[in-house]
Amino acid sequence: MTEEVDGRRPTEARTGPSATSNLAALWEREGGGRVRSRSFGGCGRHPGTWGRRAEARLGALLGRAAAMLKCGMSGSQVKVFGKAIQALSRVSDELWLDPSEKGLALRSVNSCRSAYGCVLFSPVFFQHYQWSTSVKMNDNDSTSSNLNCKLGMKSILPIFRCLNSLERNVEKCKIFTRSDKCKVVIEFFCRHGIRRTHNVCFQESQPLQVIFEKNMCSNTLVIQPRVLAEAIVLFTSSQEEVTLAVTPLSVCLKSSSDEPVDLTSSVYSEMFVGPDEFDFFQIGVDSEITFCFKELKGILTFSEATHAPIAIHFDFPGKPMALSIDDMLLEANFILATLADEPSRASSPQSLCLSQKQKRSEPLSSNSEAGKNVTSKAPECILRKVAPKRLYPKETLTDVSALENCGSPIMKRANGDRSEVSESSVSDTEEVPGPPYLRKFSCMFFGAVSSDQQERFNHPFDSLATASDSEEDMNDGSFSTF
Amino acid sequence: MKFRAKIVDTACLNHFTRERGVSNMIAKLAKTCTLRISPDKLNFILSDKVANGGVSMWCELEQENFFSEFQMEGVSAENNEIYLELTSENLSRALKTAQNARALKIKLTNKHFPCLTVSIELLSVSNSSRVVTHDIPIRVIPRKLWKDLQEPTVPDADVSIYLPVLKTMKSIVEKMKNISNHLIIEANLNGELNLKIETELVCVTTHFKDLGNPPSASEDVSQDRNPEQMAEVRIDIRRLLQFLAGQQVNPTKAVCNIVSNKIVHFDLLHEDVSLQYFIPAFS
Repeated sequence: MTEEVDGRRPTEARTGPSATSNLAALWEREGGGRVRSRSFGGCGRHPGTWGRRAEARLGALLGRAAAMLKCGMSGSQVKVFGKAIQALSRVSDELWLDPSEKGLALRSVNSCRSAYGCVLFSPVFFQHYQWSTSVKMNDNDSTSSNLNCKLGMKSILPIFRCLNSLERNVEKCKIFTRSDKCKVVIEFFCRHGIRRTHNVCFQESQPLQVIFEKNMCSNTLVIQPRVLAEAIVLFTSSQEEVTLAVTPLSVCLKSSSDEPVDLTSSVYSEMFVGPDEFDFFQIGVDSEITFCFKELKGILTFSEATHAPIAIHFDFPGKPMALSIDDMLLEANFILATLADEPSRASSPQSLCLSQKQKRSEPLSSNSEAGKNVTSKAPECILRKVAPKRLYPKETLTDVSALENCGSPIMKRANGDRSEVSESSVSDTEEVPGPPYLRKFSCMFFGAVSSDQQERFNHPFDSLATASDSEEDMNDGSFSTF
Repeated sequence: MKFRAKIVDTACLNHFTRERGVSNMIAKLAKTCTLRISPDKLNFILSDKVANGGVSMWCELEQENFFSEFQMEGVSAENNEIYLELTSENLSRALKTAQNARALKIKLTNKHFPCLTVSIELLSVSNSSRVVTHDIPIRVIPRKLWKDLQEPTVPDADVSIYLPVLKTMKSIVEKMKNISNHLIIEANLNGELNLKIETELVCVTTHFKDLGNPPSASEDVSQDRNPEQMAEVRIDIRRLLQFLAGQQVNPTKAVCNIVSNKIVHFDLLHEDVSLQYFIPAFS
């Protein structure tokens, strides 16, 4: 059978189907988070093209249908769509397009699995929306799979760059792709009869999805974006991490820098926001969580475009938090890891990152096996120890490549014990190795999206990573997935 | 040692905190500087050893022009002053958030580390008050080092001249920086100032005329001197550029004093803040 060709050896790819499928290797190579232009540039020269075209021809013979997405939107909708992409670009430099009956989901996850973003546009957001899964006939059996489309941010972000001018000039935007084609076609029908077409090559890759029950968090805050933006701007922008401390009476945002040791240490800043500034204020447990400032800003700019309030769901340190926007037309969720400040917490199941035992989870497990290689090259970790003169992208930069220069906090905190600690974050190990003084970010729990829902429910334990003492979580198979 | 001060007047606040304000200017001129607090004044001091070619900066403001409340208690009764070292950018960044604030309070604190705590009361969009606090780490400078941080003596200048528009000067010096590392600044008592650079391949001179000279302090020097004669100093161009970069607004008064082959001294007045900047001759 024709298979994906190894992107590293394009010449070999052209020679025929003998080039082995190496999706895992592709993932490993991409695990560093770098988008290879070879993968996405120049359609027709895509290493996967030969394989896919052949597959399409074969598919036609065998009675296969390709997964497809076709949607259209107006100028002002393009602006919101573009803002979503910009917000997701702060998470990582890869974007999944994932259509389903619920709508079109844009997903992004960073390489150290500490941040995940998903924006789901419901079908009514679009002027028209069509999608289908691909059907494979195998030995009188048919399996369907979704469009597994992964795009590089470097390719797609520039298309949605000047959103204000897009909103003014674009009358209609159409997006079309099929899994047997190698590209996503984005067409802008602009004023004065101008039509602009972008072909963005995609890579076939099953999206990752986070399983996180945000409604079960004990603390929920809902705030108008304008108010939050005002509050955030007052923060000195050199902070990479920020701590949110709540009690039933007050909310405090403060910088989470370490104790100052000398003049060049960061300024410690603190800001109190009264409960009356929130649209909804429910604090079940006093808590202080630390997370990456950057993603908060990302979702903030997005929410300003949608004029919808932001909901913050969280519990205790170490457990991921959710920032979400819920609107009639779309639903955005950003799940961020929070800093676990006790060593004991680090060994709790929350800090596990589990991958589902499914056929398509190879990318993840091969990632962990090649852990040493990949994660030590995983420069995209956004959460990092505050240190002066780091190669840290300023939040004003939308240049996604700058994200690639971050160091991983886990690596930093391990004080040289890089591979061991970082490996733990992506492997299936149950304990988190490393000295107890390490402060670790818990990773999130991921499951590969699969249309094969049944299989997932047959293995509920694989996808659960909540504390084993909360029985009701285990038994209730209905986790909300984003 | 104690220090507490408060600004409530919007104009004063803006003068302090704005983009063109004092703290921003200092941040551009010196990475680390000394803040000297005395009963009537605040000084921002930078004192590299001038003899070794380091620049020196002395910025002074009268506290009563800014603060509605000002209390300080120095190290001791005889030495009623406080000398603190801080990273200028920390202060300017923290103060930047105080634009359009209701009130600004600064005080000396010692939580886990000595800090200058800036406390800002803001009026939010939803009409509720919001308090932002910034703790800026500082270092208290011991008394034995104070002698190096005194106001530099203004040298007897050979020539004193009013400066041209600083923005123009800055754009010229910026271009010159690409050609040479050293610049000769020369002026005479006829209101002429030249900026010269010389390399093997090229010499570039920019002439400013009709600048005017301030009335000189010592009569003898000016009368003896030929008004056409230039007094010159050869300086490091980057230091001049750093000084010019810190001037966002044209000052109320700007004088340049040159001591031939020794030092150039810039004396500026920005509304209520005076700034002196010394660049020694390049040795």
